[in-house]
Amino acid sequence: MADKTPSLYDLKKTTFWFAISGITLLIGLVVMVFQDSAREWKHWQAKFVEYSREKAESELQAAEKSLDEKKLEELKQSLAQVKETALARRQEMEAIQKELDPLQLEITKTKTRHQDLKQFHDSDRYFFEEYSEKGEAHKAADYRKKLSEREPEILSLKTALENQEALRDEKEIALKQWTEKEKEIEQEIKKLTRDVTGLETKVEKLKPNLAKEILNAPMLDFMNPTLRIQQIVVENLRDDYYFAKVEKVDRCVTCHLGIDQKGFEDAPQPFKTHSRLELFLSSASPHPAEEFGCTTCHGGSGHSVDFVTAAHTPRSEDQAREWKKKYHWHPMKHWSEKMLPLNYVEASCAKCHTGVVEVPQAPKLNEGRNLAQTFGCFGCHKVEGFGNRWKVGPELTHVQSKLESDWITRWLENPKDFRASTKMPRIFHLSNTSDPESVDKNNATIAGIAAYLMKNSDPVALESPKAAGDAKEGERLVKETGCLGCHTVGSLAANDHGPELTNLGSKVKADWLYTWIKNPKHYAPETRMPSLRLTDEEASHITTYLLSQRNEKFESKKPPLVKTEAVDEISLTFMTSKLRFQEAKAELEKMSPEARLEYVGQQAINQQGCFGCHAIKGFENAKPIGTELTEEGSKEIDRLDFGFVDIERTRQAWFSQKLKEPRIFDHGKVKAYHEKLRMPQFDFTDEQVDSLVTFLLSLQKSEIPLEMKKSLTIKENQIEAGRLLVSKLNCQGCHTLDGKEGSVRSIIEDKGNAPPILNGEGKKVEEVWLYHFLENPTPIRPWLQYRMPSFAFHEKELSAFVQYFNHLAGVEPSYKGKGIPPSTLEEVEAGHKLFQAFQCIKCHKSNPEPGLSASFLAPDLVMAKDRLRPEWIIDWLKDPQEVEPGTMMPTFFAEGKSPVTDMLEGDAAKQIKAMRDYLMVFTPEEAARITGEAKPSK
Amino acid sequence: MIYRTLSVSVTMFCVSVALGFSSQALAGTVTGKVSFTGQAPTPQKISMGADPTCAAFHKEPVFTEDVVANANGTLKNVFVYVKEGLEGKTFPAATQSVLLDQKGCRYTPHVFGIQVNQPLEILNSDATLHNVHGMPRESKEFNLGMPIQGMKLNRKFDKPEIMVKFKCDVHPWMNAYAGVLTHPFFNVTSDQGAFEIKDLPAGSYVIEAWHEKYGVQTQQVTVDEAGTQTIDFNFAG
Repeated sequence: MADKTPSLYDLKKTTFWFAISGITLLIGLVVMVFQDSAREWKHWQAKFVEYSREKAESELQAAEKSLDEKKLEELKQSLAQVKETALARRQEMEAIQKELDPLQLEITKTKTRHQDLKQFHDSDRYFFEEYSEKGEAHKAADYRKKLSEREPEILSLKTALENQEALRDEKEIALKQWTEKEKEIEQEIKKLTRDVTGLETKVEKLKPNLAKEILNAPMLDFMNPTLRIQQIVVENLRDDYYFAKVEKVDRCVTCHLGIDQKGFEDAPQPFKTHSRLELFLSSASPHPAEEFGCTTCHGGSGHSVDFVTAAHTPRSEDQAREWKKKYHWHPMKHWSEKMLPLNYVEASCAKCHTGVVEVPQAPKLNEGRNLAQTFGCFGCHKVEGFGNRWKVGPELTHVQSKLESDWITRWLENPKDFRASTKMPRIFHLSNTSDPESVDKNNATIAGIAAYLMKNSDPVALESPKAAGDAKEGERLVKETGCLGCHTVGSLAANDHGPELTNLGSKVKADWLYTWIKNPKHYAPETRMPSLRLTDEEASHITTYLLSQRNEKFESKKPPLVKTEAVDEISLTFMTSKLRFQEAKAELEKMSPEARLEYVGQQAINQQGCFGCHAIKGFENAKPIGTELTEEGSKEIDRLDFGFVDIERTRQAWFSQKLKEPRIFDHGKVKAYHEKLRMPQFDFTDEQVDSLVTFLLSLQKSEIPLEMKKSLTIKENQIEAGRLLVSKLNCQGCHTLDGKEGSVRSIIEDKGNAPPILNGEGKKVEEVWLYHFLENPTPIRPWLQYRMPSFAFHEKELSAFVQYFNHLAGVEPSYKGKGIPPSTLEEVEAGHKLFQAFQCIKCHKSNPEPGLSASFLAPDLVMAKDRLRPEWIIDWLKDPQEVEPGTMMPTFFAEGKSPVTDMLEGDAAKQIKAMRDYLMVFTPEEAARITGEAKPSK
Repeated sequence: MIYRTLSVSVTMFCVSVALGFSSQALAGTVTGKVSFTGQAPTPQKISMGADPTCAAFHKEPVFTEDVVANANGTLKNVFVYVKEGLEGKTFPAATQSVLLDQKGCRYTPHVFGIQVNQPLEILNSDATLHNVHGMPRESKEFNLGMPIQGMKLNRKFDKPEIMVKFKCDVHPWMNAYAGVLTHPFFNVTSDQGAFEIKDLPAGSYVIEAWHEKYGVQTQQVTVDEAGTQTIDFNFAG
């Protein structure tokens, strides 16, 4: 009955709205559930499954094609045959089986009985022995009887057992031969079809089916989904979430599914295999994925499972555009550790590989480090770990003896005007100091610096060449004595360690150059240039040659115009930082124009930081002026001053821009002259900038715990110390050593005239000899034109070198000295005779006649007893071509046989040992004796 | 009866003649000479003063062997061989060894040919130290010392190469050249400048002549059964 009783709410309407809201909520729920489960990574995983399946299918097809169908048919047929025969023999087999079972029972019975009897036997024997001992002969006799009765029984049982077992084995073999053949053929079939069956299973597994769909369905995928997030948890490393350090969890492998498997090298990203699996990711590599994760090396947000939020960084502008279109990519504003672009990825190696001169397998990073050292970055910018480096510019403490003031001013204006290959950067008249006011101040500063340097350097006594030199001879000497080990001369550019030898006639005087090349340390005690022990004539020739080259254009450059107002203004600016303006002015009035110029120079040097590269009097303890770069790779983006320059807001973009054009960030800014940016212009190539940026990005805050870093053993540390010395003095400019070929070898045609290869030198020479040789080199190979220079090492450096060579060759420190017993007279005589038989003295002459061709000559063997290690001589004599391929010393013991059959039983090993022992007592007198004997009597 | 005997013997005679001919059918020959036109460079005198044993061996002056022009206008020491035409065919390696002698501080012969895996016997006939420094590009370089007079060393080449240079480091004027081939069809011109390559199967070939100073020249030749083809090379000085 429709009773229209008033109600608080209309039931119909309520129901209606309830229905609407219910349906809306339901739809909302369903939409939410589906949206939540429609994740990007699931799409990629499904794609990967499909891709793998397609790959497996094509592999399956290939395997099926390559299957030897004929052989398979054959095998199947023989299997059918064997089975048939087995079937035919079935009755036989069953009969045999029927016999086998009762036989087995019999065997068990016999065995048990046999064992029982043995036990009785033992017991009887015990009693017999006891009673015999006790003296109860009667009882003993009883047991004796029992024993003798039992023995034959036991024996017969044993025989019976053996017979039964033999019979059983026979029957089993009979059975087996039918079943074994079957098994064999089945195995062969399996082998043949193994690949195909394997791939078939694989394809099956990867096929989509209903069960998988259900397991992956929204709301049901908590149980056991096939599509799931994969992650690598690296427990000891932390990600910095500001105010919290969270365990590193890398979920990259959720999408990058094929990355650690071989076989996906051609797959599209994200499934592509990682490059160099033997070095990265595989469990046998030094960087297995489970221990290192992904973001340790690549950066990015490992916790994310989304393309955009993972902070992937595009390689180039083009790729950025592509990503924006395809994946709606944008840079992650609030995640500062963005992924490193692939061309800078080597920067991460330095996180763990600390304390080494060159990081293994990271050529770009190493190039960056080398460039940073060569161009003197560490002179202005402090970097922890690179404090043990050296100043790259020449010392200016005695510069008044070398240069003229005019030359210095022309040089400072633009160093490349004098020599395009110079490493000295340009400091003045750059983009932010090119307006007329700055130009005046630049000129004043340049003049001031020249004035300061000329006044504040100590003169050095110079020697004059005694006679005029021959330029042609000088050129030959420069090209053949060893200068090319560090210097580029004309078109011969094997090395770039020291300055290019060009245009010196416009720079220095003969006195200075002559004194310098005779003994560099006389003018500059800290120089890296060694002495080549030049005679006076040689030095004179070289001086004449080098001074014959001039740079006319540079010489005719007009020195810059110096305005006294500019000088005064600069002086006042500096003075007013400490004094009030009026006091400063008063001080200035007191100073003469020369004094003002000198003051300007001093302040400019202080401000510009010249002492970072050059040793300058008065600035021995000055602090470097540049920003500390120890953690530059982790610097907050907001801390980098992008100014008004429109570049990407990333570290690498800023570094690249800064290195290319350091003053650009002053663009658009209003700054006083001395507030402007000071970094000089190096004119780096794009490649160099790339390497340097890699290096800068490698300077990160160290958050890797010590036990995870690559720690160096003491030996490795000593090798690194040696490597630092080698890179400082450019040993590899001449010598092939430690994995690098000697640079000059590329310009020497006859490699027999090239500086010796030093691989394995630690195993070859005695340490004491090596120490003294490096201290004072003496000629070993008389035919070589190149000279080993005298470096005037300290004791520490000499020891470091000896250790370095020893460790590289794997030589352990030993205290046994020569370690060979003193030779008897017969042994010495045997060695002497062999020496003559092999005619060693023909090439190993002590005093070779001048004019003999190089192929004739070999080192004087008188040196052998002090220089060579006895063990090494044995290896060398056995086969010199093995020890040093290409050496002119022939193999005398080809295939281990000696051509001398009448001494020491023709035994090659004995002869070698006798000759080695003889060499250990080979004095100059012996050498003379042998030489005299070798001359044929006329 | 007689007819039978007669027919049998005639048949046998014909067969043997045919056989005789057929064995010759597989044997073509290429002969010729290498002539030399122009002015031969004057041979340089070799100074053996550095090693008295060598100097004592030679009463007359010794000259370099890089260009030896014969009196009849031909060139000695030219290595002639089949360069192309034998692809796919294999030939058994000859077992007889080739002798390279060091006599009077000179290599004898100066130019020679050898097959792959054919033994090379190196002999030192001198009472002084020689070393045999072979510098092949295809195989491993070797350097063997021979201090004893009369000693022999054996070596084999496992890869073909035109031409392997031999030198002695103790006596820098000594050198020799070896042509290593997979087949036996090569020859070196003599004092008369003539060469002969025998037993070639019928076919078309490219013959190359190599001289250490004047380089290489090639010619095409087609050999039929039992035929002799004559080709001539000419090097200009």
